[in-house]
Amino acid sequence: MKKKVDLLPYFLVSPLIIFIICLALTPAVFTTIAAFFKVQPLNPPTHFSGLENFRDILHNAEVRSSLGNTFLYIIIGVTLSTVLGIFFAVVLQRRFTGRSILIAVLILPWALPGVVEGILWTGIWDANTGVLNSVLKSLHVIDHYQVFLGQNKFLTILAIEVVQVWQITPLSTILILAVLQNIPDDLYEAATIDGSDAKKSFLHITMPLIRPGIAIAVVQAIIATLNIFDQPYILNGAASTGNSLAMETYAVSFTNLNFGQGYALSLLITLFTLFTSVVIAKFIYKKVEY
Amino acid sequence: MKFRNKGFRRFGVGFILSWSLIPIYWVINTSFQTDAQISDTPSHLLPPTPGWANYKALLIGDGELPSLVRRSVINIFIECIAATAITVILASLAAYAFARMEFKGRKFFLFVVVMTMAFPTYTTLIPMYRIMAMLHLVNTYLGIILCYVSGFLPLATWILFSYMQSLPAAIEEAGSVDGASRMQVFRLIVLPLTMPAIASTAVITFLFAWAQFIFPLVLASDQSTQPLTVIVAAIQGRHVVPYSLLSTAGVIALSVPAVIALLTNRFIVSGLINGSVK
Repeated sequence: MKKKVDLLPYFLVSPLIIFIICLALTPAVFTTIAAFFKVQPLNPPTHFSGLENFRDILHNAEVRSSLGNTFLYIIIGVTLSTVLGIFFAVVLQRRFTGRSILIAVLILPWALPGVVEGILWTGIWDANTGVLNSVLKSLHVIDHYQVFLGQNKFLTILAIEVVQVWQITPLSTILILAVLQNIPDDLYEAATIDGSDAKKSFLHITMPLIRPGIAIAVVQAIIATLNIFDQPYILNGAASTGNSLAMETYAVSFTNLNFGQGYALSLLITLFTLFTSVVIAKFIYKKVEY
Repeated sequence: MKFRNKGFRRFGVGFILSWSLIPIYWVINTSFQTDAQISDTPSHLLPPTPGWANYKALLIGDGELPSLVRRSVINIFIECIAATAITVILASLAAYAFARMEFKGRKFFLFVVVMTMAFPTYTTLIPMYRIMAMLHLVNTYLGIILCYVSGFLPLATWILFSYMQSLPAAIEEAGSVDGASRMQVFRLIVLPLTMPAIASTAVITFLFAWAQFIFPLVLASDQSTQPLTVIVAAIQGRHVVPYSLLSTAGVIALSVPAVIALLTNRFIVSGLINGSVK
């Protein structure tokens, strides 16, 4: 007897698959192919140009400086969000009164749009009206108001990245906390009986066992920091101090209207993201056993 | 068990509260001040003469600015609600098939879903714009909504799939013994049991949609479809707009996601955990 093919599951997944094919895979394939073509709407025709886009984009001084900037964003962002994430998760590890309210408050920055966060932190960093200047001056740390954004490159990047860290740390915390809560209490009890103090327990029980949580947190932080756009766009505008790779991709494509180079840059960012995510995941993410 | 002193917790709780709340408090505080007050040294910890003047200037009246802001508020609600509804419906259908049916290609399709979750935004931004331009969907609600749905569908499917898979199959088997079709089992048994995960998915999708900036910046070329985030950034870009109005626009744009996050944080946390642990 011929077995009839069950069509129902295909029917159920077809909208999802159609969306993925049309608006995710097609664009990705399109990007990959078009990166090897000269695509400039104002300067036709479109033709195959081999590696020219990649060569041009890597020789573009602004792209190069944004590459360095993005590297700084990643280093600062991943370090800060992971350290804070571990700290917050350890604070929230045990039950206590008000813990669920604290988690609700912790989540808040994650839920807000990057654009709005840029505006929030303008009120803190601003050179004329910012509260940080006001506080530092009242405490006599500084004599006159400082410019945090747009002058010193490192300071600009640090100030912008703190805003993104504010946004991504809640997710890091939640991911690490999820793993932390699986650690059995017995382990800590046994360690205490053996004479371990809080510091030793943290270093020898907590840290090794939350590695999988840290790995996921680090990967999401890398992806977020690598794609930083909203915060520098709002906080620093078109000023080129602290431009990120994502801002450069946008500028190359939509300001210079050089789509070919935009595709090439997008492709490089994508490959780099996938590569680092896999390496980091392999490196830190090892199954732990209790 | 007390292995960690109370001082550490007190410091930690204080740190988390100030870290999360001070920037939000500060923008609300400035939104109730005049520009002269904002520029005062030292800054005012409380608004000296609190009033709704900034809010009225942004929201009420026939001026260019209030009409722009009102329009963008309507736009962002239309785009977020439609994208959330479509995403949740399509994702729960697909998740049901993945969690409860055997079919050729199931593993492969699941792999594709997970893979697209790892795509960075910028892989698809330019081609997305060109596809929408080709379909004449630039500057339409449909274009923006389709773009959002395609972006959020993989994560939504994954969250619902991992949740449905953790449900015991025995309950549904009882249903099918009674002669219910698979879609009836879905509607009457699986869907009600999946409600917590559906709530998570809906809240997370809505918040993601609300936060979008670069896609609508590219896909919505004029105010007829631009969401609030794009308008807030545009207001910021005009140098004539004072910070008092800008911070007020910020408060308006953060009020909705902030209230949602405070009310539904349980769903957000469980959804984020379900969606990420692979």
